[in-house]
Amino acid sequence: MGEEGQVISCHTINAWNQQIQKDKNRLIVVDFAASWCGPCRAIAPFVAELAKKMPHVTFVKVDIDEMKEIASDWGVEAMPTFLFLKDGKSVAQVVGAKKDELQQTIIKHSGNSGTSA
Amino acid sequence: MAVSGFEGFEKRLELQFSSHDPVIGIGLRELDFKSLEQVLHQVQCTVVSALGNHHFDSYVLSESSLFVYPTKIIIKTCGTTQLLKSVLPFIQHARTLNLHITALRYTRGSFIFPQAQPHPHSSFQEEVVYLEDSIPASLCYRKASVIPSKLTSHSWHVFSAGAVEYSDNLPVDLYTVEVCMTDLDQTLARKFFRHPNDGKNGDTAGREMTEITGINRINLNAQICDFAFDPCGYSMNGIDGDRYSTIHVTPEDGFSYASFECVGSIYNDDMADMVKKAVRVFGPGTVSVATTSATQDMCTRIKAAVEQLGMKCRSFSMDEFPAAGEVVFQTFTSRRKRI
Repeated sequence: MGEEGQVISCHTINAWNQQIQKDKNRLIVVDFAASWCGPCRAIAPFVAELAKKMPHVTFVKVDIDEMKEIASDWGVEAMPTFLFLKDGKSVAQVVGAKKDELQQTIIKHSGNSGTSA
Repeated sequence: MAVSGFEGFEKRLELQFSSHDPVIGIGLRELDFKSLEQVLHQVQCTVVSALGNHHFDSYVLSESSLFVYPTKIIIKTCGTTQLLKSVLPFIQHARTLNLHITALRYTRGSFIFPQAQPHPHSSFQEEVVYLEDSIPASLCYRKASVIPSKLTSHSWHVFSAGAVEYSDNLPVDLYTVEVCMTDLDQTLARKFFRHPNDGKNGDTAGREMTEITGINRINLNAQICDFAFDPCGYSMNGIDGDRYSTIHVTPEDGFSYASFECVGSIYNDDMADMVKKAVRVFGPGTVSVATTSATQDMCTRIKAAVEQLGMKCRSFSMDEFPAAGEVVFQTFTSRRKRI
């Protein structure tokens, strides 16, 4: 499909619901970001790199202005906020552009044992 | 006091901008990350963590913090960073966004190791000369002054400059509080050391320090972005609406230091209480509090709050600065300390 290894942008609630349903057996990492937020832009290249390195994990990007309801539903107050979903439920959250914590949380929840941190 | 060690005392710069365009939009927040990194490189620091909200962006740096609002930049760095070298690059980058500088304020306490500071920070005189050369002539109201206290180790250095358009319209509802603490209680300072082989990273260790020290309870409304350095040291930025708070800790005995800085609003009543909670985290031997454009009443309340911790007020002085208003500088020592 050409989507593996890339960050998928969801622009509508329908697209969001479909994506969450489609990949509910995988770890879904949601990047809640805003175009006007410097920290979001700062970490974006790192997130894209992680998506490439971990094709068994789904990476979704949500613009909080486009998807106000979804952002509010998941309690997003500051950006970037990374939400970790498994089977539609939240298993973790990383608030802030925190590279180490983001990477380690993905490894912890993706069932990818990898080498120790 | 050690002969040499890490300089915890920060240098702080606040730059105010404006535009002739009626619509500024996100202003300085539009600056791309590469440009910010370029400026930080000149100051010898890097970004270790970041967090933003609808009002501003906050960055935790390897040597303190950076806050970017649409028309204001605040950068605070410690150690031997050459902070003033960021002035010209910030002014130039702002110009690419059609923003021109309308005010600048530079403040710092007294360095524990002044001889270790590089140019242009080897003396306040050198800093003032450098600043005067860096700012445009439009910032025509200028003043440099050192506010003393009874303690030779604690003075407050201020350089403030403003353009006519800014100085005629000083904002009145916000004020800044800068708290500097030295001679930290050793047991409390030890909480800011990493444990070897803790299996944590800087982010998770930072979060733990925030929680076990009670820093997360200073302002329950704030989102916190924290980081723990290896083998010791801690930094955090708190964001609460359009107001930031920031804490930086150098815990080593012999030159221990902690700072707490916060923006207050005349519409909120909690500043004195927050200062008290912050000072309690560290149990310092000496505290200095500098407020910029705070009311006399708020200064008195902060004084009372610090005194409630058993500290004695040693000095209470003030001075008036262009584009900043009144700066009040107070110092306190714990009763166990003899001057």
